[in-house]
Amino acid sequence: MGRLVWFLTLVIAVALGTYAFGWAAPAVLGAAWAAVRRDDAFVPAMAALAGVFGWGALLGVASLAGPVARVADVVGAAMQVGAGPLLALTLAFPALLTASGAGVVRGVAGR
Amino acid sequence: MRKLTLGVSAIALAGCLHVGAMPVGPVPPLGALLDPVHGVWGIASTADLPSDQTLSLEGFSGDVEVKYDDRSVPHIFATTEADAARALGWVHARDRLFQMEMIQRAVAGTLTELLGKRALAIDQNARRLMLAQAADAKWNAVPDTAAVKQVITAYMEGVNAYVAGMRPQDLPLEYRLLNAKPRTFEPRDTYYLLVRMSQTLSYQEEELAHDALRELVGAAAADALMPIESPIQEPIEPVAGRTQARFTGAAIPAPVLPTPAQVSEARRTLDAAQQLARATAMPMSAVDPMNLTLTELMGRGEAVVGSNNWAVSPSRSANGHAMLSGDPHLELTLPSIWYEAHLVVPGVMDVYGVSFPLSPIIPIGFNRDVAWTMTNTGNDVVDFYREQVDDTLSPKKYLVDGAWRDVTVREEIFKDLRGRVIQRDTMYSTHRGPLMQTSAGWLSQRWTAREISDEGNVFRMGMSAQSSPDFYERTATFRTPAQNMLTADRQGNIGIRSTGRYPIRPNGGRGDRIQDGTLSANDWSGDQPLMWYPQAYNPTQGYLASANQQPVDPQARNQYAGANWPSPWRAMRINHILRDNAQMTVDDMRKMHTDPKSELTPFVMAAIASAAESAKTAGVWTADDSVAYSLLTAWDSEFVPDSRGAVLFTMVTTQIGTLLWDELILPGETRRVVTPQQAVLVSLLRENASVWWDLRSTADSVETRDEIVLLGMRKGWALARSLEGNDPATWRWGKIRMTNINHILRLPGFGRDSLEVRSGPGTLSPSDNGGTHGASWRFVVELAPEIRAWGTYPGGQSGNPVSRRYDDRIDLWQAGELAELRVPGTAADLSVEHTTARLVFTGKGGAR
Repeated sequence: MGRLVWFLTLVIAVALGTYAFGWAAPAVLGAAWAAVRRDDAFVPAMAALAGVFGWGALLGVASLAGPVARVADVVGAAMQVGAGPLLALTLAFPALLTASGAGVVRGVAGR
Repeated sequence: MRKLTLGVSAIALAGCLHVGAMPVGPVPPLGALLDPVHGVWGIASTADLPSDQTLSLEGFSGDVEVKYDDRSVPHIFATTEADAARALGWVHARDRLFQMEMIQRAVAGTLTELLGKRALAIDQNARRLMLAQAADAKWNAVPDTAAVKQVITAYMEGVNAYVAGMRPQDLPLEYRLLNAKPRTFEPRDTYYLLVRMSQTLSYQEEELAHDALRELVGAAAADALMPIESPIQEPIEPVAGRTQARFTGAAIPAPVLPTPAQVSEARRTLDAAQQLARATAMPMSAVDPMNLTLTELMGRGEAVVGSNNWAVSPSRSANGHAMLSGDPHLELTLPSIWYEAHLVVPGVMDVYGVSFPLSPIIPIGFNRDVAWTMTNTGNDVVDFYREQVDDTLSPKKYLVDGAWRDVTVREEIFKDLRGRVIQRDTMYSTHRGPLMQTSAGWLSQRWTAREISDEGNVFRMGMSAQSSPDFYERTATFRTPAQNMLTADRQGNIGIRSTGRYPIRPNGGRGDRIQDGTLSANDWSGDQPLMWYPQAYNPTQGYLASANQQPVDPQARNQYAGANWPSPWRAMRINHILRDNAQMTVDDMRKMHTDPKSELTPFVMAAIASAAESAKTAGVWTADDSVAYSLLTAWDSEFVPDSRGAVLFTMVTTQIGTLLWDELILPGETRRVVTPQQAVLVSLLRENASVWWDLRSTADSVETRDEIVLLGMRKGWALARSLEGNDPATWRWGKIRMTNINHILRLPGFGRDSLEVRSGPGTLSPSDNGGTHGASWRFVVELAPEIRAWGTYPGGQSGNPVSRRYDDRIDLWQAGELAELRVPGTAADLSVEHTTARLVFTGKGGAR
């Protein structure tokens, strides 16, 4: 399979994994993906991107069900960070989970 | 490189997992919070109500249909009262779960278990006042077989059924931010709510302030400045033949120059009053009482509380039907204190109005026959007793009639969210109630709210009244918080009764002094009978009104019900409008809610005119005076957002008060012992030569009213220019008096701030500098053969801050408009076009 397909697979896995198992799933999926894609030099970066896209897709789905922008405004204000940073944090968090999960496996596996 | 990758990745992963799973300082675990499916983003999907939903819940004896109208009001159609209550519990929980928990915890004194140490002061105050013990005692006194107990139990079953069936996305936002989960609710929690309302509406402590004032100015002057007779009488109980308010004409004796010892005693007593205020303050929003100003803490003030109600009989309405208007004022919060609902149980009840989340009761509303609403009586139901104790640090005994009695000592433990003990306090009580230490000694307190009573059942009975007389019969045993209950019915009757417990006291019946606790003869000896209550029924004048004023003119009936009554400006304004208009319409009733005029204004303006004449005669009138005076005289006396004159008028009035009450400031300090009600100030405005106008700071001259009013105008003018700019054309009343509706946790971004409204000192919608209080629910009911009603409140039905239903009513409320209320008799009567959601509870049993 090409790199794009693998990437999309991970994106979907992150989304479904989060849906089924909760917020920590991207770390496990990142690690698993690194184990499978041992020869790919861009594993951590791709994993991070997949985390962003995976949760981004879930946010997209959430926005179909209700006012996600309003959630960003309200929660961003409550946490005193603002809507934009809250959204960025929401996308950065799974990126870090998947990338660090992948990085650990890659470090252990020797690549 | 490999080790570096491994190291960095492992650290990053560990860090992510840690902040994902564990709270860091005030930040909740980020994983659960940011998760787009189960976390905070999920609440987006709960912003709107599901359009059609059927639930099978345990306990329902038959099907219950709930239809939400286009204002998100649930119309609940059930076959039994218990089923209606169960359904209401469920819908309350869906919309207001976090608020319900906050109310219960505020009374239980367990807010720290949700909010941590920041709520400690409120919890300590709640426990000090023994609120939970009072609620428990009231609930335990209700027989298990009583219908109200069964109804409330069913209601809480509905609440808990909702909590048990919540999906991850249903968890309210506040719980997520606090990393908390909802508690299981108990039937007795409804009585916690009722005690909370008593605390909000009936708690007052002015005895120590009065004592401090007496030390500073002498007993006679103190009695006149905090009078038991309001200087202006516009009572709730009408006086036949009277066409305007009555000035009592009571003189205000000159202040006595205090000795150093008296000043010292006044200072000590004021310190005690402030200690007591801080030890008992419980704002509706979860604000640390230590952060409240002393003005907020002490006294009821002129502007903060200001509920109104009025009714007209058919003879004075354009449509020939009785009409009723309700306008209860409270601290404004989001979510609102009220939740609008309609309960229909054929043959049993058909009641519409505002309910309190945490109870199945509709305390203000109407049914097909009668409408009712309330204002607070403000009568004196809290007394303090100076106790003689065996040990001033840790009392074990207190003296009564020469014999020592045991002090009840209890340890109160406060915990945080994780169950860790964060504070242990020793608290004391006597047979009268809480025993508290102040710099004025150990004081115990008796308060009607802690006595056994069953407001739950009384409110429930009132909901099914069939006429005004029937309503008063059903509510006769109502005790606390005493309310001016106003009714109008379809037969054209109107009535009002100040219903509640009025204690019978020794010493002439007055309760505005600290009592000697060593004598049991000073205890309350019973309650005043029903006939003693201020009341009126179908008066010849054809209308009735209340606005927290002194209820009975002492000239008509001299009976002690309280002291230091709020100035009757609102009562005067309502009566003024109703006297002038014998053909009231629904729209006239609505407009009164935001009427921008104050009856205070003409008195002050007359004094300013007199001061101007005197200054011109004396040759001290300046060009600046002319500019300021022109601005005031050109003002139309309306407190509306774009008014300039209102800005200057208010600053001038404040300055006049500051200059006038210089005798009430403790020597060497800036603290004023008390600020008398404006009605007292207005009384003095009628006396140009009263010694109160003389400034103590000018020993070589004696000032008159005209001189002080002129000085007040000059100072007000200077202040207005310094604060608002030199060009009066740029001044706006709406810039300096705004309404702020805070979230109950005062979370930033969750409230609505700086709302410009039509309100001012003494207007029907009075304002204060904080702008946190106001009209919590406005409604008008026309008691025609087919009842019609209009209403709104400043908030929305949902407690979910991301829902449009969270604050969708504020704009209408701000504009002073009302929405027509839909009152379908059956589920089918609410048309599809006016139905936004439907919910059916089936009676088939089984868990959801």
